[in-house]
Amino acid sequence: MKNLKALNMLVVAATAAALMLFAPIPGSGQDKQKGGKGGKGKGGPPGAEQYGPYYAAPITPGQPVGRTPDGQPDMQGFWTPRFNQAIFEVQDHPKAQPGIGPGKGAIVDPADGRIPYKPEAAAKANELLAKQIYLEPEAHCYVSGVPHAAYQQFGYQIVQPAGYVLFLTEYAHTYRAIPTDGRPHISPNVKLFRGDSVGKWDGGTLVIDTTNQNGKTWFDMAGNFTTQAIHVVERITPVDTNNINYEAVVDDPTIYTQPWKIAGQLGRHPDQNMELMEFACVEGNQDLVHYTEGVGGKAKEKGPLTK
Amino acid sequence: MRYLVAIISAFLAAVPIAAQSYKAPRTADGHPDLQGIWQVMNTAAVNLEDHIATLGMPAGLSVIVDPPDGKIPYTPAAREKQKENYKSRAKADPLNICYIPGVPRTMYLPFPIQFVQTPKFVLMASEFAHTLRRVFMDGTKHPEVSLFWIGDSRGRWDGETLVVDTANNLPDTWLDRSGNFHSDALHIVERITRTEPDILTYEATLDDPQVYTRPWTIRMLLYRHKEPNFKLLEYECNAYLEDAEKESQ
Repeated sequence: MKNLKALNMLVVAATAAALMLFAPIPGSGQDKQKGGKGGKGKGGPPGAEQYGPYYAAPITPGQPVGRTPDGQPDMQGFWTPRFNQAIFEVQDHPKAQPGIGPGKGAIVDPADGRIPYKPEAAAKANELLAKQIYLEPEAHCYVSGVPHAAYQQFGYQIVQPAGYVLFLTEYAHTYRAIPTDGRPHISPNVKLFRGDSVGKWDGGTLVIDTTNQNGKTWFDMAGNFTTQAIHVVERITPVDTNNINYEAVVDDPTIYTQPWKIAGQLGRHPDQNMELMEFACVEGNQDLVHYTEGVGGKAKEKGPLTK
Repeated sequence: MRYLVAIISAFLAAVPIAAQSYKAPRTADGHPDLQGIWQVMNTAAVNLEDHIATLGMPAGLSVIVDPPDGKIPYTPAAREKQKENYKSRAKADPLNICYIPGVPRTMYLPFPIQFVQTPKFVLMASEFAHTLRRVFMDGTKHPEVSLFWIGDSRGRWDGETLVVDTANNLPDTWLDRSGNFHSDALHIVERITRTEPDILTYEATLDDPQVYTRPWTIRMLLYRHKEPNFKLLEYECNAYLEDAEKESQ
């Protein structure tokens, strides 16, 4: 569904340029990559089998990490995520499920690659999985939460003005603007899709603490839900100019028996002169058709572009 | 008469926005530093022209500085279309169904907007529906194909002023809640100047021969948010729209 949604919306928004992201980059060696069977990436761009359904830059050693004018380790540029098929399901999912092919997730702790749900939470996730084509938040063009934003398809651009780290995502034109000036979290009364993130540099690692999420986002398409009690600590470490290590510890004592951790890498996109294009989501959302039955049947009246 | 208007307009255009004595601090690459979180304090989002109050909508004076009468110089047919838009605005306003607001509307919505500058682009991130606008500053041209909800913006520095040229606008966006509109021929030139430490003077000239009889210009101020630890939150419009639809059933 995600492929279909993406294509439909790209046609409405920025077809030609956005499609370049699907195209293999000349000289990138993508065509040489081989790997296991991907999730829904079957038939996707070259390289999908290895790293996931969307383009991921090849692993290329870079130069030592530089510094921004205000002394932060410099991660600025365009990055593509490598998190296996976590975009479809964050935990390992060796068996095909409704609408989602088998694949590997991004969980490194616990070692079995599965979310350590309490029994009633596991039951709820299963229930949601069965209805995911109606209920998946991104099918409704909801902005993704944290850490889902880190493995968002099509990658993102990192910008580091003084006192901030920004992640500018092409998918649904979203952003994260994370202050690194030592400020506290906002009031716990305000819940947000993206939560409230504050960052600090711990040596060469950017540590982002995120609270205040609204519990309306999922980790993936597979019903792995969140609650407002979620607390996420991301550690983002540039290794060299071409490679960033990413990990996030997720804690929510209301639904998990223990904290768990995902890990992945970001690879610098070989084309640093590209421009992220507009990815309109609400404006051309063909998934509305799917959820007319799911959430009230009003989608058809939504506006001129959904006729 | 037309000749006179042209002379007056030329004169107005030649007058500098303000005696430009203030010089903004510079970014690392030597350009005026416009960074920060800004917001208008006006009712341009309700109606760019003079307007009385309506239910829930405050009254306001026109932000149009040219033509001098403060009215959008529509062709007669276009003015009729605007009046129709006004009547059907509850359903027809693209913002009411949470579409990307477009340029220049995104600049004067009642939502904060964060400016970030890099050597390659100036970013304007609005809290409204996480709308992102990039103004590319590397001398590149508008793409020949593709229309965008937020248009395609390319800029340059003219002394203290950021000059932004925006084309490739989808025709589906409106300019305000009152049905003021444009076609896909819309071409916008914005001039953004930090005229005081905490004020941006914002000016935009809109040209669209399919809809207007001549170019016209709006001008307003954006004020810096100085509250401690102020940050953009979020307005996930389409999610609230769905909630409202579910509640109304």
